[in-house]
Amino acid sequence: MSAPEPAPVVLTTSDGGRLEFTCAPGASVLEAAAEAGAALPASCHQGTCGSCHASVTDGRYELGTHSALALPEDERERGDVLLCRTFPCGPLTAALPYEQSRILYGGIPVREAVITALEPVAQDTVRLELRLDGDADCQFDPGQFMELQAPGSEVKRAYSLANTGNWEGRLEFYVRLREGGRFSTHLAHRARPGDRLTVHGPQGAFGLHETGLRPRWFVAGGTGLAPLLAMVRRMAEWQDPQPARLFLGVNEPKDVFGVRELAAVAEELPGFRYDVCVWKPSGGWSGPTGTPADRFAAALPELAGTAPDVYVCGPPPLVDAVLRAALQGGVPQEQVHRERFLAG
Amino acid sequence: MFCYQCEQTDRTGTTPGCAGLIGNCGKDSTTSDLQDLLVHAVKGIAQYAAEARALGAPDDDAAAFVLSAMFTTLTNVNFNPTRFAALIQEAVAVRDRVRAGYERAARVAGHEPKALTGPAVWAPGANPAELARQAQDVRVDTGLALVGPDVVGLRSLHLYALKGICAYAHHAHVLGRQSAEVYAGVEDALAHLAGGPADAADLLERAVGLGRLNLAAIELLDHANTGTYGAQQPTAVRTTPVAGKAILVSGHDLRDLEALLEQTKDQGINVYTHGEMLPAHAYPLLKAHPHLAGNYGGAWQDQQREFAAFPGPILMTSNCIIEPHVSYRRRIFTAGPVGWPGVRHLTGRDFTPVVQAAKALPGFPESPAEERFITVGFGRDAVLSVADQVVDAVRRGAIRHFFLVGGCDGPTPGRDYYTDFALGAPRDSVVLTLGCAKYRFNGHDFGEIDGIPRLLDLGQCNDTYSAIRIATALADAFECGIDDLPLTLALAWTEQKAVAVLLTLLALGIRDIHLGPSLPGFLTPALVDGLVERFGLRVTGDAGADLAAALERTAS
Repeated sequence: MSAPEPAPVVLTTSDGGRLEFTCAPGASVLEAAAEAGAALPASCHQGTCGSCHASVTDGRYELGTHSALALPEDERERGDVLLCRTFPCGPLTAALPYEQSRILYGGIPVREAVITALEPVAQDTVRLELRLDGDADCQFDPGQFMELQAPGSEVKRAYSLANTGNWEGRLEFYVRLREGGRFSTHLAHRARPGDRLTVHGPQGAFGLHETGLRPRWFVAGGTGLAPLLAMVRRMAEWQDPQPARLFLGVNEPKDVFGVRELAAVAEELPGFRYDVCVWKPSGGWSGPTGTPADRFAAALPELAGTAPDVYVCGPPPLVDAVLRAALQGGVPQEQVHRERFLAG
Repeated sequence: MFCYQCEQTDRTGTTPGCAGLIGNCGKDSTTSDLQDLLVHAVKGIAQYAAEARALGAPDDDAAAFVLSAMFTTLTNVNFNPTRFAALIQEAVAVRDRVRAGYERAARVAGHEPKALTGPAVWAPGANPAELARQAQDVRVDTGLALVGPDVVGLRSLHLYALKGICAYAHHAHVLGRQSAEVYAGVEDALAHLAGGPADAADLLERAVGLGRLNLAAIELLDHANTGTYGAQQPTAVRTTPVAGKAILVSGHDLRDLEALLEQTKDQGINVYTHGEMLPAHAYPLLKAHPHLAGNYGGAWQDQQREFAAFPGPILMTSNCIIEPHVSYRRRIFTAGPVGWPGVRHLTGRDFTPVVQAAKALPGFPESPAEERFITVGFGRDAVLSVADQVVDAVRRGAIRHFFLVGGCDGPTPGRDYYTDFALGAPRDSVVLTLGCAKYRFNGHDFGEIDGIPRLLDLGQCNDTYSAIRIATALADAFECGIDDLPLTLALAWTEQKAVAVLLTLLALGIRDIHLGPSLPGFLTPALVDGLVERFGLRVTGDAGADLAAALERTAS
């Protein structure tokens, strides 16, 4: 039986690195390490490939079912294990047959960046472009965010990245300026190109899911466009084959932004369609009106029963409305990927 | 999913095969099912293509598509279900084009087109659920209850050998070489499989025929490689790093390597080979690039550790990719048939993101004080240029025996056999090697016999062609058959190219091959018995005992 109490586990890498964490009852050492923020090399996760081979140096444990080819009997008898099938019965120490560079440790990167562009793109909305200082390694997944921090301030605000991962240190954001917001005030009144900011990240789990050729539909409210723009830009860059469609909604015509960027994506991504609607149209607006949730709901029947993967980002009421519309339109809830943003 | 195409296959059940949510290679069931459907669709292309080619109206573009599509389904090549969903659609479009071409050709020839059935008229499901249902009908073990395990095993042997042949022919095609003989052979064999053949004796004979077809494919590839980059030359390859920015290139595609070398010229970036790319250093037109700096790491199964430690981007040009660890997932790139979900795939040999990544990443901070080298490049031309010297050494008794020790390496237990075998070979023997299994012993100093290196690295697994040419030349010199030479083969296998190579060796009449670390899971006990009886095929056992037995067989 595995331990009824959480068991302390110590793993040692071949180059002397130590990894300590607690293994919850019923969890394998591999799962517990991941829970503790350390992804150990592994492949099949079911005891048949041998990729998570290790040697227990102290402690009792239970070995789950596994292939004798992955862990031959003589190795098992001398204390070798497959970490995906190892359940501690108490304190456990084990030696890993690889260096610590194979383990991805947690911790949010903190780096300095320089403002390279700060320009209004709509009413109370600016486009902010940064370049990492002395570091061109700027890899992140579309949908992730960074926390931005002004010099001398403790305040950090999270903004979704609107561009794609790159090796030039480029970061792009769309920021809705909020009256009285401390970071907004800094951007609106003090920040200038050439100034520095501290960036924390990338962070966040929002992102594209690989589900085959299922259509990808995106619904954005206001600056909720940023992570979705990153996603469709990534699709264009990688020439993903899924049919893609994006619905952007803003309150008033003077809030409209991102159209040039969406048009650029449409140039590069075959079959990509987008439309921009305004909730409270005024003179001069001849485009669609309403909310992007309405536009999304009205368009769903065009897919004739094929439920798309839906990615939605915006204020909570919009996200909820899109989810309702999706469910009513026959889209399973697990296909609706949501990121709500809240005023900071 | 059901898959038993590689050596790693799950053998914990009553019959071998990966049938869970994830195969032992890391392939998930969705991807595996889609691969089965792609193969099914490709059989449909082949059905019409074979008919059209017989009428003198071949569609070589379709044949090239068949090669690349089949290549994507080899072990450790492509794990991206989206890519397979798209390939299935493309395959059906290609099939419909080939059908139209066939029907035109038939009418021009004055008769009504045949009404083909099976994959020829298959329509892919409209959504993932329908595709998953369809996949159940096209598994490699379909018809088991009807035709029995031996026929299913033989069909699988055909399919997997064909995958290997397609991979080799694809590499040749990339370098501008194609062969109507190979195209026709692949189309005919796939069309034959589409008909659900059930005659075991006929299937076995045809399998030997596929061995001959593969010989044509690896000959084509040999000519493509040497014709494009020159004949391999013995070359010392640095295995220690050089200070500076770095890119690592793995896989087998020399054309991708060449393109990358061109795109990194004068940029202050060193390019390193990995795994099966090592032999690239021996080709004159590739080694002429001064920034082809050396080889880094070893065989494919060690890539998670080696790639994590490499201080630059990695380009995978063909198999063998395994799940990219998060520590390097954003700096590994795929090209050609390779794919992994969430890993950047580059097309058109535009490696700009790789070059950008190399500049952004730290590279090697320093060169170690002591440089190390290994020597590669003993392809057929290099060895045959000293054939007289070799023949003389054999006649004088200075060389008692030749061993060909190589093939694919892998993570499963039992592969120390090849290390023990190579290192245990007597001092008056020569060890020829190829494939990535060589990494188990190629750092060892084997010494020389009368100036002839005792370890001769022939190249990639496809350079079995070199081994065959060398063996043929020796047999001619001694006026005997290849099987009469003092030559023993100890081969490691992992995936389907090795299946094709094995059939080639059997087709050439080479007996008593030691194959390991286990025999293919798709060969039933009855089929194994047949191969043992007819070809003397044996599974690797104890290296010392096998060496002794090999020497005794030759001496007797």
